[in-house]
Amino acid sequence: MQIFITGLGAISCIGQNVEEHLDALLAEKSGIKKGIHPYSQRYLVGEIPLSNDELIAQFQLKVGGSRTGLLACVAAKEAFSGHAHHPEIRTGIISGTSVGGMDISEVHYRNFMENHTHDVAQYSEHSSGNSSERIAQELGVGDFITTISTACSSAANAIMLGARMIRAGKIDRAIVGGTDALTEFTINGFRSLMIFDEEWCRPFDESRKGLNLGEGAGYIVLESEKSRRISNSVALAQLKGWSNASDAYHQTASSPEGYGATLSISEALKVAQLHPDAIDYINAHGTATPNNDLSESKAIKTVFGNSIPPFSSTKAFTGHTLAAAGGLEAVFSVLAIQKGYLFANLNHKNVIEETQLQPVVKTTKVERVRNVLSNSFGFGGNNSTIIIGEL
Amino acid sequence: MSACIKMITSIGHQDSFLKENCWEHLVPLTNETEVISPDYKSYIPPASLRRFSPVLRMALTAAQVCQNSVEQPFDAISVGTSLGCLRDTEKFLQTFITATGDTLSPTAFIQSTHNTIAGAISMALGNHSYNMTHTQNSLSFETALMDGLLCIAEGKENVLVGAADEAIDFLNELKPTVISSDLPFTSGATFMVLQPQSNTNSGKTIVDCVVYFNQDIENCIDQFLANNRVDKSAVELVLNAGNIPSNIGQKQIEYQQYTGLYYSSSAFAMHLANDFNLSEGNYALIVNHQQEGKLGLTLLQ
Amino acid sequence: MSELKETLKTQIISQLSLEDLTPADIADDMPLFAEDGLGLDSIDALEFIVLLESNYGLKIADPSQGREIFHSVNSLADFIEKNRN
Repeated sequence: MQIFITGLGAISCIGQNVEEHLDALLAEKSGIKKGIHPYSQRYLVGEIPLSNDELIAQFQLKVGGSRTGLLACVAAKEAFSGHAHHPEIRTGIISGTSVGGMDISEVHYRNFMENHTHDVAQYSEHSSGNSSERIAQELGVGDFITTISTACSSAANAIMLGARMIRAGKIDRAIVGGTDALTEFTINGFRSLMIFDEEWCRPFDESRKGLNLGEGAGYIVLESEKSRRISNSVALAQLKGWSNASDAYHQTASSPEGYGATLSISEALKVAQLHPDAIDYINAHGTATPNNDLSESKAIKTVFGNSIPPFSSTKAFTGHTLAAAGGLEAVFSVLAIQKGYLFANLNHKNVIEETQLQPVVKTTKVERVRNVLSNSFGFGGNNSTIIIGEL
Repeated sequence: MSACIKMITSIGHQDSFLKENCWEHLVPLTNETEVISPDYKSYIPPASLRRFSPVLRMALTAAQVCQNSVEQPFDAISVGTSLGCLRDTEKFLQTFITATGDTLSPTAFIQSTHNTIAGAISMALGNHSYNMTHTQNSLSFETALMDGLLCIAEGKENVLVGAADEAIDFLNELKPTVISSDLPFTSGATFMVLQPQSNTNSGKTIVDCVVYFNQDIENCIDQFLANNRVDKSAVELVLNAGNIPSNIGQKQIEYQQYTGLYYSSSAFAMHLANDFNLSEGNYALIVNHQQEGKLGLTLLQ
Repeated sequence: MSELKETLKTQIISQLSLEDLTPADIADDMPLFAEDGLGLDSIDALEFIVLLESNYGLKIADPSQGREIFHSVNSLADFIEKNRN
């Protein structure tokens, strides 16, 4: 059964809708800069320059609450715009998040610790499951709702589950992707791991030091043929392959040889029934940490051998948006196919010595992009790969 | 989507761990209830155990017991948790809120992500298969179970499904404003091995599991049973949380009197249903209606 | 110096939650990160950095420097003696 992609939605530091994202990718314009909040101003981050109130007003959102939920609603609304509500189309919402409502909880917990008074009602925002339910409320759909929380691979896993449920005939259409807001908790968390780069991150560069965090949300709409017959939606691309595998090596680091990544890449190709040669572009996870980029490079080499397709990480544009990354990058993958572009791996000077892999360093127009492979690797050794192809 | 339960085990406030039948030692909980912990050292190496919070200890141990019960490594793992590793989450909040220096202890942060449970299981078992974590409030277990059943439908043969949540003292701040209940906040982990239906399996079969949002509960139950061609009169046991229609089930038992209050407690209801002596041709139905507007229905035979 | 080493052992046990160990279990020259030593991992290496800063006011900016310094209680004590005022 073919799974069609019929909607795209995105918000991050490089754009507030899909078109703005495309413009930024073509102009090679990163959105990473010094943070504006007390907890972020020490770092280079990919912050969205809109407050929660501004998000609600600008995008005419029905619901308030956690920033994670608001970002989700913005992007999901864009992805779903123009799509029909119909009693015969069973629509699922499968969304990834790692932060959930922590943006609100951390403020009130601090009050609790410092003043011993706190607005207890606000903790009802905390749960990660809320962001998916917010999308349902915003869009007025949701026959099935679940939230995936596997750190940085969440959105890719959400996309995968949506496809599997459609193939199994449990739903006909799915709004899938992920969202995460930048929070003090997350910034301090990555600080404790000492994997920030104090400067602009350098994915796949020999001198890379670490990541820049970002925030955002990215969603796509998946539909079966049956759903499209009823909804009359326009197909943009196809979701052809997906896979999730465990590294089982370490709580945060990837195995040196990229075993889990090798598994997820290979398996996704099998699901797509594609030979590695059919991949025209890899949108890598490429967080710019010393560990990930080496490990991912090795996995790519293991699977693709001597015929490594053009590849890049777009995280020097957006920062690492954690659970949203796979969703945003799925949107970029569709754009690459639709428009015929390979997007730049910004801020790259020298290849990683050990692997000698050269990423695409300038956004490049190409004649055709048949299939894009997109990686998202999360803490706990959670490795996910999706493959998006032309119609 | 259906599957057989090859093995199921729980650690929590009931004396059920490794017991033949969890009904034998069942007691309604009081406010003073505590987790009945097994000797974790027998299941978890000290290098990991030293870091693990209660929810990780319970889940890892239950998962290990499940793996020990089958020869093959699991070909998929699906875990539900509504609030994840709460103790580590709170600990890291405290760490950075009170920090004076520049460095921060990372262990609590690393373990605060929801998929620490499933990830730690994959590491402990050396398992490289599909590994998923679902977190959907009161339906966290049901959505994880649906994923597990989907894996079986797709051809997987040995799937680990489970759910775990832990209580911390801070949760009491939420009563009565956010959560109004007389039940104590509790912790629990239930893990099970699912395999494809076969003639040789002697355990219960999970016939179906569906979740519903903002729909009339009575209509949902009727539709669910009808879709599975089950007559209402054949539902011998109903295990429920929250308000349900009175006209379903020959026997209705509110399971939270045995689990206490945690959102993935319907996993323990599954254990209760599994161990219940159903008459031939009859069914057990788990009705998870802990939160308004969210309903989980699971049918066992 | 030997007093520092004993204190360090207690601090290590606390910071790394090595609940089953006593200072007597950690020899001064035991390789802390080796499999046949204490078998610590990269998360512990980060905890050592926290330990050094909060107890001794010493900062290590680059985690990769850590492995040499944290090799054993001996090397840790040497580093502290050399660098603290």
